[in-house]
Amino acid sequence: MQKFFFNKKLVITLVALIISFLLIAFSITVRNNRSMPTFVQQFGNEAFGLVDRVISFPVAGVAHVGGSVSDLLNTYEENQKLKQQIDSLAADKVENQTLRKENKQLKEQLKLDESLTDYSKISAHVLSRTPSSWQNQIIISKGSFAGVTKNAAVLSRKGLVGRVVEVNKTNSKVELLTTQNDSANRFAVQLESDGEVINGLITGYDKQKNQLIMGQITSKKKIKKNTEVITSGMGGNTPKGLLIGKVVKTTDDDDGLATKVYIEPAADMTDLSVVTVAKRAD
Amino acid sequence: MANSKLKYYFPLGLIICIVLDGTFSSLYAQYFFTSSLSIESRLTLLWLVMAIFYGEVDRLMLWAFIAGVIFDMYYTGILGIFMIIFPLIIYLNREVYRFFTSNFIVVLLIYLIDVTLVTALAYWANSLIGLTTTGSADFVVQTLGPSLAYNLAVFSLLFIPVKNFFEKYSSR
Repeated sequence: MQKFFFNKKLVITLVALIISFLLIAFSITVRNNRSMPTFVQQFGNEAFGLVDRVISFPVAGVAHVGGSVSDLLNTYEENQKLKQQIDSLAADKVENQTLRKENKQLKEQLKLDESLTDYSKISAHVLSRTPSSWQNQIIISKGSFAGVTKNAAVLSRKGLVGRVVEVNKTNSKVELLTTQNDSANRFAVQLESDGEVINGLITGYDKQKNQLIMGQITSKKKIKKNTEVITSGMGGNTPKGLLIGKVVKTTDDDDGLATKVYIEPAADMTDLSVVTVAKRAD
Repeated sequence: MANSKLKYYFPLGLIICIVLDGTFSSLYAQYFFTSSLSIESRLTLLWLVMAIFYGEVDRLMLWAFIAGVIFDMYYTGILGIFMIIFPLIIYLNREVYRFFTSNFIVVLLIYLIDVTLVTALAYWANSLIGLTTTGSADFVVQTLGPSLAYNLAVFSLLFIPVKNFFEKYSSR
């Protein structure tokens, strides 16, 4: 009798493990290949997304009260600083408008309707963040109803933060640039050094120093510190010209190793409340 | 249990705990996920463990499974990790439960062992499928240590209210 029970437990454990492994394998396939998760998964995500909105809204409200008080105390100082900046801003704005108009006219003359820099914006709230060190994911409040597509680039106010990995009807998951795994971080980027454009890929992330690593570089030219790195628009999903960050240092290829450029990201990936999904126009 | 209000309040609390795990991670991301440490909030586990020791909940294993499925589906997108780990924890705790009388220190120690187990199993599963390349030394220093410290603090704060809640609505 004792032996029978032991066997029963063993069988249950094994079956559970096998089902678990199958599901893991299935999820990874979906994540890598298909644009939408299965119906059951989507339905669950919609339902729980709704519950999440109801519960997290008051919690976030309470948490923001503390922030508001400290903001209020800093207001005077900030106001002084902003006053100094505002004069130059007006001039910049007018110049920007003129340039944009000219750009449009020139494009019309060239019969160039949509270039790589054109994209439509979808703003979304950050609903939640995966409570795990292994998946640096945030969950945002817009899905396929609003036009979010898989692999679209996601921006904060300051720069690129990541890309969409899963799209449901009313919410989607975004994998941040700071994720350290084998399939993440493959953004095609470029920078300009002495008039020459250098292309490369974001190949990794250094967690200790909070720096992105750019590899597969096309040129051997010296790269200056503080050069701005932007997306190059190659690879199909990302528009051109989204700011990623600034160059901190470059390692040379003395030992036959490939040149690596270390980039300090412009966006703060731990302070996100509203993000923009950039969907390429073409 | 059949007549008790815990039938409704337990699932409600469970769902609130799952949501709060994510909300706190998002709100306090600048303290939770820095370059030298990352804290994993485990409120869901706290709720389940307290239910074993102080509550009278029917089909706790099933609830743990459901919590795991929601966790996998909504947060990670990789099914099959937490939906196995949570019921496993319930099973192990029930085995241990017989040998102890529940008081603050005992439940605290068991909870900390559970947190270690869950964090380590999730790390193992994620490194197995190539979603992380972190070494095991870095895992202990950067994730396990801070997570234990944070969850210890949360447990100490929430022990009395959650215990009172379970005792009030259980007919034990």
